[in-house]
Amino acid sequence: MKRAGDQTAFLMKEKLNANFARKGIFTGLFSGCTWGLNSVLLGMALSLVPVMGGKAAIFAIPLAAACMNDFIAGLWLLFYNGGAGRLKEITRSLKTFPGLMVVIAALLGGPIANGGYLLGISMAGPAYALTITALYPIVGAILSRIFLKRHILPRVWVGMLISVIGAIVISYVPPEGGNGETFYIGLLFASLAALGWGAEAVLAVFGMSMIDPKIAINIRELTSGLFLAIFILPFVGGWAVISHVVTQPGAIGAFAICGLAGAVSYLAWYKANSTVGVAKGMALNGTYVMWGVIFSVILLSQPLTQNLVIGSLLVLMGTTLVAINPKQFFSKVGRHNHG
Amino acid sequence: MADILPLRFRMLHYISTVEKTSVDQIMKALEPEYGLEKQFKKEVLMEHFLDMKANLIIEDNDVVFDDKGELLIYYSINDEGRRLLEKYLPKRWNQPSFL
Repeated sequence: MKRAGDQTAFLMKEKLNANFARKGIFTGLFSGCTWGLNSVLLGMALSLVPVMGGKAAIFAIPLAAACMNDFIAGLWLLFYNGGAGRLKEITRSLKTFPGLMVVIAALLGGPIANGGYLLGISMAGPAYALTITALYPIVGAILSRIFLKRHILPRVWVGMLISVIGAIVISYVPPEGGNGETFYIGLLFASLAALGWGAEAVLAVFGMSMIDPKIAINIRELTSGLFLAIFILPFVGGWAVISHVVTQPGAIGAFAICGLAGAVSYLAWYKANSTVGVAKGMALNGTYVMWGVIFSVILLSQPLTQNLVIGSLLVLMGTTLVAINPKQFFSKVGRHNHG
Repeated sequence: MADILPLRFRMLHYISTVEKTSVDQIMKALEPEYGLEKQFKKEVLMEHFLDMKANLIIEDNDVVFDDKGELLIYYSINDEGRRLLEKYLPKRWNQPSFL
């Protein structure tokens, strides 16, 4: 081990690394906050779409919304990366193996996980489906332990568990009871969603060892949006929803704003995952459940329920535990810790 | 120049060819390939170093103050970084002319 004799220089370097990690923690929290905002804005944008009954309401509308959200976010990110002189990095990255891993991550996290999430809710009911999908940070942490060989501190595991319980409390809706065979298939779909989001983060983090997170997320959003548009929407009647949206300037504007919030959020999530690791990054992003409900209370005047208050406190406690080792965080020169 | 690597990937590759490198040294070395690009800035390259360090594929054990009293961090590749390069670096880049 080569270590300079100059202790001050060494301590300054450690401080630089600690500050970088701390910035990563805040970036992760910011990703959760903007994702919560994105969910609420998406709900508001969808309310501008003319009422469509039957099949459209169950699959076409949410999938078309997911498609527009990802694709428009991808376009915003193209502007962002273009402005920073990084556009060429996209094709360069796609010619490498890590770049292709990001494409696979996009398919797992976009169409597969989103699709599983929607099918899970419709077949097993929100009570069970949301509880299962809320487990995705834990799935991601386990996968990162196995595939990225990242050591995860006991403190981080406990924090993650507490915040997952908080997320479940927030999104809890009284179960309607198991109904027949589709119920269990629905549970499988919800598990697929948790697995898909967890696997997305792990694959993306692997890719981002060698490619820029800002490019990785641009590839992710465009891949997911295009795949949904070409291979999924035609089979669920999703294009009919999009054609309704494009005829209404107000709705287009609303989706453009949602896409911007989505772009900022995903950019922050990928950056945080790359900086502080999948386990912490996902747990911090998982605060979106809490932010989402807080934004609904503020923007949509929804009532502040007991579940929201208790669940939010649990999420806050859990993520604080995930993010912060009190000894390190408040010491002037913290050691960069990769939990 | 159809075969230019993504900047971060190329940085990792460059680090593997030298014993250690600072941000100024790597900028000098990669200038012919990326020098005309807007992304080729000291703070961007430093961010790549810090991220790769956080991803445990490079080390930053050598650190000194330079003549002007500024912090000078030298980065070197570790076993995990080498393993990734061996596995995922496009074959053309393994040829000696690129080392």
